[in-house]
Amino acid sequence: MSTDTLPVARPAGEPPRAAFRRRGTPVGPPRVTRGAQTRLGLLMVAPLMVMVVVFVLFPLGNAVYYAFVDFNGINPRPPFVGFGNFVELFRDPSVWAALKNNVIWIVLGTTAPLVIGLALALLVWGTGRSSIFYRIAFFVPYVLPQVAIGVVWGWIYDPARGWLNRALEAVGLGSLTTGWLGNPDTALYAVLGTAVWATCGFVFVILLSALRNVDTELVDAARIDGAGTLGRLWYVVLPQIMPVFLMVTTITLVGGFSVFDIVFIMTGGGPAGATEVLGTYAYGNAFQLNRISYGTALALVITLMAIPFAIWLNRLQRRLSLQGTGA
Amino acid sequence: MTTYTARPVLRRQAALGGKHLILLGLSVLMLFPLVLILSTALKTDEDVRSNPFGLFSSVSSDNLVTAWTVGNFGDYVLNSFLLSVPSTVIVVVLSTLGGYAFARLPFPGRSLAFYLVVLGLLVPFFTYMIPLYFQLRGMGLLNTLLGANLVLASTGLSFGTFFIRAFFTDLPTEIEEAARIDGASEWQIFVRVMLPLVTSGAGALAVFTFLQNWNNFLVPLLYLPSGSYRPLTTGLYLFLGGRSVDIGPLAAGALITILPVMVLFVVMQRQVTQGFLSGAVKG
Repeated sequence: MSTDTLPVARPAGEPPRAAFRRRGTPVGPPRVTRGAQTRLGLLMVAPLMVMVVVFVLFPLGNAVYYAFVDFNGINPRPPFVGFGNFVELFRDPSVWAALKNNVIWIVLGTTAPLVIGLALALLVWGTGRSSIFYRIAFFVPYVLPQVAIGVVWGWIYDPARGWLNRALEAVGLGSLTTGWLGNPDTALYAVLGTAVWATCGFVFVILLSALRNVDTELVDAARIDGAGTLGRLWYVVLPQIMPVFLMVTTITLVGGFSVFDIVFIMTGGGPAGATEVLGTYAYGNAFQLNRISYGTALALVITLMAIPFAIWLNRLQRRLSLQGTGA
Repeated sequence: MTTYTARPVLRRQAALGGKHLILLGLSVLMLFPLVLILSTALKTDEDVRSNPFGLFSSVSSDNLVTAWTVGNFGDYVLNSFLLSVPSTVIVVVLSTLGGYAFARLPFPGRSLAFYLVVLGLLVPFFTYMIPLYFQLRGMGLLNTLLGANLVLASTGLSFGTFFIRAFFTDLPTEIEEAARIDGASEWQIFVRVMLPLVTSGAGALAVFTFLQNWNNFLVPLLYLPSGSYRPLTTGLYLFLGGRSVDIGPLAAGALITILPVMVLFVVMQRQVTQGFLSGAVKG
C-alpha cells in the first residue's frame, strides 16, 4: 500500500511546480507590484491612523500637557505649574486612601477571579459536550452591562430584605448581617465581590481553552508514576497553561488599576470615601470640582503605575510560551 | 475479571456525576442575579411591595410597560442601537483595512504606525477621557451622535486592528501569489481572495465590538451630558438615581438593558468566547 514511490499524476495544463520557484531571481514581488502595494497600504491605514491620532493620541498628548498646567476648564491660557499637581497629589491624604483601596482591589480582584476561574475550568475540563452549558452560565455575567450588574447586586446587598442578609440568617449567621454597601467597613469588599462575580467567567473561559491543549499523555504518565491529583496539577498541568495564565493575570491586573465603572455605579466612592479609588477620585476632581488638571494628573499616575506590571508580566509570558514551543 | 474492570469505570462515573452536581449548583449561583432581575421585572406591583426581592409569585407585564413608556426605555433602546451599530461598522471596516495593510503590505512607516495603534491598546481610556471632553467641545461634537460614535469607534480600533491583523498574518502567501500571476490587482487580491478568508474573524470582532459599545457607560455619560441620545446604560443609571422609582420598573429597565446582550451572546456564544481568546492569546 505504499504510494510514496509512485509518480503523482499532474493534471493536464498545469505547469510543473518547479516553474513557480524562479530559482536565481530575487525573492519578493517585482517593482511594479511593490509600488502598488505601498500605495494601497498607505491608503488602507490612512483612515485608521486619522481616527487613532485624533481621538486617542492627541487627547493623550493633551493629558500630559494638562498635568503640567493649572486648567479649570475655562481659562484659555492655563498657567504652567510644572510638577505642582504631582507634588500636591503626594501630599493629598485622599489620594493615599484611594491608592490603598486600589491596592486591595488589585490584590483581591486579581487573585480571587484567577483562583475561582482556574477551579471552575478544572472542574469543567473533561465533562464533554455539557461544557457548553457551563461555558454560557459562567461567562454570561462578563458580557452584561455594569449598570445592570450594579442594580441587581444592590438588591442582593440590601440591608433590610436583601438576599445576602436573608441567606446569612437562614444559616444561623444572623449576627453578620449588615447594610453591605452602606457600611464603610464592608462597602469596598461588597463591590469587589460583585466584580469578582462578573470577571471569573472570563478567566474560566480562557483557562478552559488552555486546558484543552494540555498534553493528556503526560498527565496519564504522571498518574501511572503515582502522582496524586495535586501533584499532577502542580507539576504537569499548570506549567503547560502558564503562558495563558500569565496573560489572563496581566489583563485582570491592569483592569484592577483602571477600575472605575462598577465603583462609580454602585457606591460613587462612598460611604465617606470608603470605596474611593483613584479612578473615581480623578473623575470627581475633574468633573465635579472643575479641577481638570489635578484629575488628569491623577489619571496619568494610575496609567504609569500599571505599565511596568503589564510589561513585566508580558515578558514572562513570552519567555514561557517560547519555551513551550521549543523555540 | 469483570468486577476488576467495572469498578474504576463506576468510580469514574460517580466522580463525573459529583462534578456535574457541583457545577450545576455553581451555575445556579452564578445565574441567580439574572433570575432575580427577570422575576422582579415580571412581578405585579403588589407582589413587589409585599416581597420586594423575593422570586415571583405573580406574572405581569406592568413593569415592562411602565419602564418602556414612563421610564423612556423605548427611546433608550433606539439610542443604544444608534450608538452601537455605526461605531461597530467603523471599527470592523477600518480594522480590516488597517489589519490587512499591517499584515501584508509593505509601506514606509509601517512599524511606527503599528506601534502607535498598539499604544492605544496599552493606555486606558480613562487617562485621556478628560482632555477628550474639551477636545470634543471644541470640535462641536459634544452631545452629538457623530461625536459619541467616533469616540466609541476609536476606543475599539486598536484591539480590532490587532485582532484582524493576526488573521491576515496566518494566511499562506501561495494563494496571494497565485492570484497575482492570474493578473489580479492588489485591491482585487484583498477583496476577492483575502477578505473572504477572514470573515469568521471579522464576524467575531463585530459581535465583540457591538457588545462593548452597547455596554459602554463612560462614553455616553461624559460626551452626551445633555441627555440627548441617552442609551440604555446611562438611562438605567439615571433611573437608579431617582429615589422615588419603584423596584419593579427599575428591574424591567435592567431587563430591557441586558436582553439584547443576552440574546446576542447566547446565539453567538462560540464567536464571542473564541474572539476573546484569539484576541487575547495572539496579543
